[in-house]
Amino acid sequence: MKFQDPDQEKTIKALHWQEFSLPVGLRAAVLKGTADRLDLPLPDFRDEGYTLSFINYKGDVRIGTGHRPEDKEYPASPGLGLMSIAGRAMSFRTGAAVPLAALGLFIPRDWVRLFLAANPQFGKIEQPLGENASILTCRLGRRQLSLISSALVAGGEKELPLLKLQNNALALLEFFLCNRHRSLLGVNPTSDIENEDDLSLIREVESYISEYYCSDTFTVDSILKKTYTSYHRLNFLFKSIHGMTISEYIRNKRIEKSKQMIADNVKSISQIAYEIGYSSISNYILAFKKVYQITPGKYKKQIDSMA
Amino acid sequence: MSYVSLENSDSFLKCFEVIAEDKSNIVSDSVLYFSGKTGKGFITATGGNTGIEVLAINVSMLTDDLTIRFQPSAEASSYILHFDEAEIPSKGDNELSVNPVGNNADKSHSSVCIADAARGKTISYPRDRVIRSLIVRVRKASLDHLIKDFDAGTIDAILRLSDGQAALSWPITFKYRLLLNDFMTEIVQHPFRELFTIRNVSMLMEYLLQQFFVMQKLADDGNGLSNQDTRSLSRVEQHLCLHYKNEFPGIEKLSRISAMSPTSLKTKFKRYYGETLFGYYQKNKLEHARKLLDSKIPVKVVATEIGYSNPSHFTLAFKKEYGFSPWHYLNPH
Repeated sequence: MKFQDPDQEKTIKALHWQEFSLPVGLRAAVLKGTADRLDLPLPDFRDEGYTLSFINYKGDVRIGTGHRPEDKEYPASPGLGLMSIAGRAMSFRTGAAVPLAALGLFIPRDWVRLFLAANPQFGKIEQPLGENASILTCRLGRRQLSLISSALVAGGEKELPLLKLQNNALALLEFFLCNRHRSLLGVNPTSDIENEDDLSLIREVESYISEYYCSDTFTVDSILKKTYTSYHRLNFLFKSIHGMTISEYIRNKRIEKSKQMIADNVKSISQIAYEIGYSSISNYILAFKKVYQITPGKYKKQIDSMA
Repeated sequence: MSYVSLENSDSFLKCFEVIAEDKSNIVSDSVLYFSGKTGKGFITATGGNTGIEVLAINVSMLTDDLTIRFQPSAEASSYILHFDEAEIPSKGDNELSVNPVGNNADKSHSSVCIADAARGKTISYPRDRVIRSLIVRVRKASLDHLIKDFDAGTIDAILRLSDGQAALSWPITFKYRLLLNDFMTEIVQHPFRELFTIRNVSMLMEYLLQQFFVMQKLADDGNGLSNQDTRSLSRVEQHLCLHYKNEFPGIEKLSRISAMSPTSLKTKFKRYYGETLFGYYQKNKLEHARKLLDSKIPVKVVATEIGYSNPSHFTLAFKKEYGFSPWHYLNPH
């Protein structure tokens, strides 16, 4: 049985969708926060239509289809928009600490008829949604990501919250549909990461990291030498898959491991720090604090008091 | 002179019948193109069945004045908003002397305006101008829903404040200019025209309400501007917006344009537009740069295009404004 974080229940409960009714007839739900472990269903708008969700995060998130954990899962990537039929069971899942921001948008049937159906291509866009109950995805750019984050800020603001949220939501919707439209016409430039070589490179690097990340001689340079890529290229690819730089990725892996070791309560913190490859304890403590917002010592005490 | 008269129940498409009647204009897919003889550009109407109707006018070199009149009607329960930008076509050089906006400012100055359809409204566009204009007719019910968010009450209350003129208008800012510009370049080709229209209208509403609250606050504090000041400031604003490719003109030149002292120009501009003169100029400039970047133009070219001699200066300015560099803007992950 895996270790259970005492605060976990709280963190999960804190992450819930906040719903808004937009004046144009759409409904939106926003969510922002950090989760340690997450199984977050898409907002349920209890009506017929489409759901469009946009997520951004740092770390690893999977998209689960269906209610049970053993249902099929897709890997997500940061800055993703996905469209599905409303009411379809889908959830975002993660096993590690992930800061997450999401915006859900519900498009009712008659809204589709009024505003979207005029485009003959829209039939083709929505066809796969209905037929195979599949999902459509689209990668977002910097502009769209900033739209999400400013929409989330607007959710908590007093002044102009709805209008701002509505404008950003509409802009995102437009971006998504235009993107689908362009790819139907075959003029969408393929994004870098859909390249097979790049994907296999990343997988190779990931497995290399998971093998050696605890060694104290392990550096990013050694990865570069092994894979013959430049630092910037690798970072770029990493960011588009995990939403963080390669060194952040390694750090998170190490800290995650150390967290488990602390919970096992066999070794002292300084021992753990050296074992996972940190050459100084203060560096380790800082890194731990960055990931979990608590020092390892305090964390250990928390665990002890729970036991 | 083209004169269009619209009843409350008339669709915006009726404009086409009137304008196209005696001229060799081309109508297709709810877009009316002007032939070379009568002017350049197009008029398009969208959103007929969505409750928010929009007439977009993007023309230059009209040989005739164009007037659109909304007949007053008691049962009309909608608002008419219009956002106009009218420039005098540039004659190649941009010295002050060929910029005589001041002479007939009342007739041609660029403005946003909101009016109650029940009282009617006449909008006229003079010939020999570059005109970009959006006329929006929106049902009160759908707008009220938005306004409910605000403490200030409904637009009706706003209109009542304006001494029975039944219309409120302000000079436009660079946000409107950019939006109008974008709207006009994309609307004809846009695959989701209805969606695109409603998004833009929604954004215009946001700008409008923001502007309204700023104005209201200024008036409440006893800092309201006189008509004279408003005109002078909008002249300065127009100069800053149109000449974004050139160097910042400097306070002396601007104060000559506005016929105000440098100090009072600075304070009033800041109060009215919420930005310093240079800040406003810079924001507008960088927004243009962002647009160029969106169309996948290399950073170096963008820098030269908007008037930077050195790309790294551009990068720095961009970073200062948006928090990330142009390169990161293009490569988000």
